[in-house]
Amino acid sequence: MNETVSVISDDEYRKVERFIYKEARFADESRYDEWENLLEDDMIYWIPRGEGDFLPDRDVSILNDNRSRLATRINQLKTGTRHSQEPRSPMRKIISNLMIDRISENEYLAHVNFALFEMQVQSLDEMNIWAGRMEYKLRESEDDLKMFFKKVVLINGDHPVPTIAFII
Amino acid sequence: MNYTTNDISAISNPAADIPGLIKDNGIHSSLYTDPNIFALEMDKIFQECWVFVGHLSEVPKRGDYIRRHIGCEPVLMFRTGDATATVLTNRCTHRGNLLCQEEKGRRRAITCQYHGWVFNLDGDLVDRPFSGGYCDKGGELDLRKAKVAIYRGFVFATFAKNPVSLEDHLGNGRHALDRASNLSPEGELDLFGGWTKHIFNSNWKMLVENNTDGYHVNHVHDSFARGIQVQYKYENVLKSEEDKLEAFVRDMGDGHAEIEYGQTYSKPLFWFGVEADRFPDYVSSMEAAYGKDEANDILTKGPPHTYIFPNLFIAEVSMVVIQPISAGKSINWNTPLYLKGAPDAVNRRMLRQGEAALGPSAFLLADDAVIGDRQWRALHGSPGWLDLSRGESRETVAADGTITSHYSDETPNRGFWRHYRTLFS
Repeated sequence: MNETVSVISDDEYRKVERFIYKEARFADESRYDEWENLLEDDMIYWIPRGEGDFLPDRDVSILNDNRSRLATRINQLKTGTRHSQEPRSPMRKIISNLMIDRISENEYLAHVNFALFEMQVQSLDEMNIWAGRMEYKLRESEDDLKMFFKKVVLINGDHPVPTIAFII
Repeated sequence: MNYTTNDISAISNPAADIPGLIKDNGIHSSLYTDPNIFALEMDKIFQECWVFVGHLSEVPKRGDYIRRHIGCEPVLMFRTGDATATVLTNRCTHRGNLLCQEEKGRRRAITCQYHGWVFNLDGDLVDRPFSGGYCDKGGELDLRKAKVAIYRGFVFATFAKNPVSLEDHLGNGRHALDRASNLSPEGELDLFGGWTKHIFNSNWKMLVENNTDGYHVNHVHDSFARGIQVQYKYENVLKSEEDKLEAFVRDMGDGHAEIEYGQTYSKPLFWFGVEADRFPDYVSSMEAAYGKDEANDILTKGPPHTYIFPNLFIAEVSMVVIQPISAGKSINWNTPLYLKGAPDAVNRRMLRQGEAALGPSAFLLADDAVIGDRQWRALHGSPGWLDLSRGESRETVAADGTITSHYSDETPNRGFWRHYRTLFS
């Protein structure tokens, strides 16, 4: 980080925080169109196999979507025959430990911890608990922030995990 | 093994008559749900048959090891030389402590953390602290060692006393290992991408059967067909009519089976979703290695979609290992089919395509997993007979004994069960 760039103001902190809560709510409620509206064209959505020095172009990931693949993912979720999300999982995510760094004059890097409770209603009728941390890269756009990077680091990512067909 | 309460309630037939549960064109669902049958399989199949453990490229240097399972048995696969590996039970012969907890690493020797017994990479017991307390020489306390055989870097192991040769086990399936390896200009895979591990709450044989079942594709993967612009490799198999499907299935004998897509690919790298001029360095290195005609043939025919009994599936751009956990739980392992000596851009495309198809978030396997879960749950409480008759009257038997049929026919699954039955007869 460039030392000369100013620290995050309280207003900026609140703005990023509001964005992250909104993003989590759209994801938890499977509001795909509203979630997709938060994205920039250079969006990367990445779930590596947990912590560690995994490289996206070398190590197989749980998920690694650029913007067009993410559009396919959302299209698939909206077909009505994405069996692994039909019916959709009721979910709630708890987010905490928000820390924000500045990337540039109009870009932020945010870190959070999360716990996600997913009711797996497609086949098991059992609750899955997902835990880890997330990184977001956000950019000032015309009227609000937009997201151009989201990395989800699951604490059990390099171990056997159930299906993750929802937007986490 | 983790049996749920439900699993235990399913114990209906402690000395199951397995051959009686398999007809030529149907099977009894208790084969998927009965924990006694699962236990018999771990013994008869995963101890007695050749089982895929890992690839030599995963342990590139002497002393490198990976942790794997042969059925439910924890094992370590050690690289011991240029083209050699040992497969040892990951359990101290003294008091049964797990020897290595890390998924991979490098060791000069294996030291148990409980009482300090030391084994070499061949599994021999070489040291015990305070040896004055022992009278015997300890030779019978070496680690349990599997027999190992390696074909083109694929390491197979068995605990059978007198196994058939690996060549006999692979039979007609061996060509799939050649077909995959020959996509590399150096003739070898280089599996350095690691593995995703995807939990299926269904029986391991359901994963096996699904891998060579063409009939489900239009239904389970309908959302994928509609979510993407259908093109290239998926063109022929998605949204097609029964009489227009050119891909076909093949029962290769010995439990191995495949879907053959080769003739649906009209030109080199069509299976990869690109024109050949996208990767000129790759094409020229392949021509230098194999000659122009053979390289053209390899690159046109593309990778195999082949299941090797009991736990290996070469899924075109990925390699898959099926790990049984209990009658109702399995893990699907997946790594990109990286090619040694191929340009980085080729392997990167292999990675991206594999991630699209396989893994916990993939466009395809996420849906296969949920169907498997539903199938297992629906069968569990009310066992009965299941139909496997599709296409039985329109198969073609070739001179080498392999049986081919329409893409949507259950020929591969009938072949699997025919072989399975012989193991319990």
